[in-house]
Amino acid sequence: MSQNDKKRRFIDDAWFHDFGQGLSLTGGRCPACGQTYFPTKQVCPSCFNAEQRKVPLSGKGKLHTYTRSHMGPAGIQTPFTIGFIELPEGIKLFSLLTQCDPWDEVLSVGMEMEMVIETIREDEEGNEIVGYKFRPSRGASS
Amino acid sequence: MRAVAIAGIGGIRFGKYGDRSLRVLGEEACINAIRDAGMKPRDIQAAYVGNLAQWEWGQGLLIGHYVLREIGLTKIPITRVENGCATGSNAFHEAWYRVATGACDIALAFGVEQMTVASSEKILSVFTGRQHAERGGDMGNSAPGLFGLLARRHMEEFGTTREQMAMVAVKNRKYGSMNPEAQLTQTMTLEEVLKERMICDPLTLPQCCPRGDGAAAVVLVAGKLARKYNPIPISVAASVQVSGTYPDDRSYTFFDTDVRAAAAAYKMAGLGPEDIDLAEVHDCFSVAEIVHYEDLGFCRKGEGGRFIEEGHSGIGGKIPVNTSGGLLSKGHVIGATGISQIIELVRQLRGQAGKRQVEGARVALQHNGGGFIHTDTASCFIHILRK
Repeated sequence: MSQNDKKRRFIDDAWFHDFGQGLSLTGGRCPACGQTYFPTKQVCPSCFNAEQRKVPLSGKGKLHTYTRSHMGPAGIQTPFTIGFIELPEGIKLFSLLTQCDPWDEVLSVGMEMEMVIETIREDEEGNEIVGYKFRPSRGASS
Repeated sequence: MRAVAIAGIGGIRFGKYGDRSLRVLGEEACINAIRDAGMKPRDIQAAYVGNLAQWEWGQGLLIGHYVLREIGLTKIPITRVENGCATGSNAFHEAWYRVATGACDIALAFGVEQMTVASSEKILSVFTGRQHAERGGDMGNSAPGLFGLLARRHMEEFGTTREQMAMVAVKNRKYGSMNPEAQLTQTMTLEEVLKERMICDPLTLPQCCPRGDGAAAVVLVAGKLARKYNPIPISVAASVQVSGTYPDDRSYTFFDTDVRAAAAAYKMAGLGPEDIDLAEVHDCFSVAEIVHYEDLGFCRKGEGGRFIEEGHSGIGGKIPVNTSGGLLSKGHVIGATGISQIIELVRQLRGQAGKRQVEGARVALQHNGGGFIHTDTASCFIHILRK
């Protein structure tokens, strides 16, 4: 609970789980066919198996494509930057991009990105909605 | 399946009709189509209506029944369909299917939409609201966003340029200026298109279709009846519907739905892209038209930018595309869009397209993608029409 009774909540509680090393983006893996997906689902979309294991998804991936949006939903200040991230698990993940200004100089297709958990937007009551974003990786290459 | 032909077409100009009801817009298009077919409403044995939503207050109820009751068409099966931006094409496909299977001889398909009565925020909220099934919208995703992402990847892989994308808007606005039913009739230069307000990089405002109000209707008949109703019947050589696979493992530079629908449509018609004289394709954004050239086989993968730049998609080129002005000029009047594309092609094949007539056109292709989930359109319809 922060000031003015504003609350922070996850955009979707099922998206994040602590596997022992802090919060991870959480996918599902089918023990029968090995398919990994995000978010978790009621059944495996490949083989209809109802069992699934919650697995942490890699917080790193490659930038497949990106754009600067000058329009968007209420609660996200424009302009903002979005992209698809290719996770090593074979998932293409839509994401807001952050810490990448000036976007058209910093970003390039194929670059390494890493996940951060932070506020996505404010809802109608002014509550902070928290989710994932990706930023240029601060690993060895930078 | 038996032969099916289009006996009547009727559209109204797309625009802003906030002072008229959704019902009245639909009536006008249906009356025009039934008159064009030389029929009476009682000749029609089934009707399908495309209407995505009544945007100010949610889902519409019984819009087909309200419209058709006014013109004296009752008793018959009347069904509303919804399939995202391809809603109108879905109505056409269902009407075709009913006639093609022999369930009836004459069917009406129409689409109607009234979008200017709602604010942009209201419309966007339909795609981003908390109850929406897919969460990308409330994380900043949008239709322009998805096509901006597509554009960037296409530029990166194939060297497609901002100018080539802007050329789609220049071409379509030029043809829109020749179409009395288009909403935007002002031509624009390449420089003007590029200098306009940025929506999602690299797509400036004229590269994003406007919304609007309007309606469009067609009457389909069994092939054996075609000449009874129209001296120039246009036959439906292929009618194909597919849904998306939303691939994660493919480069985001194409639509899997387009490719599969095109293969099925060419097979059904016994034709190939080399036989197509003109096409109406889903140019919701300029880059989409470039990608559709490739997906539909009008040119090779990656050469869509050059296809427009070298004039192959203009009148006089290899395959003139969007001679109606496309969605970029007409506006995307969702329920009516697909049927409006078919109307343009019927006019062209009949030789009634006026200043934008493609001389000698005999085979035409219509393409309409519906909705977007993850990396693919949710639905795709392709129709091939033949004189």
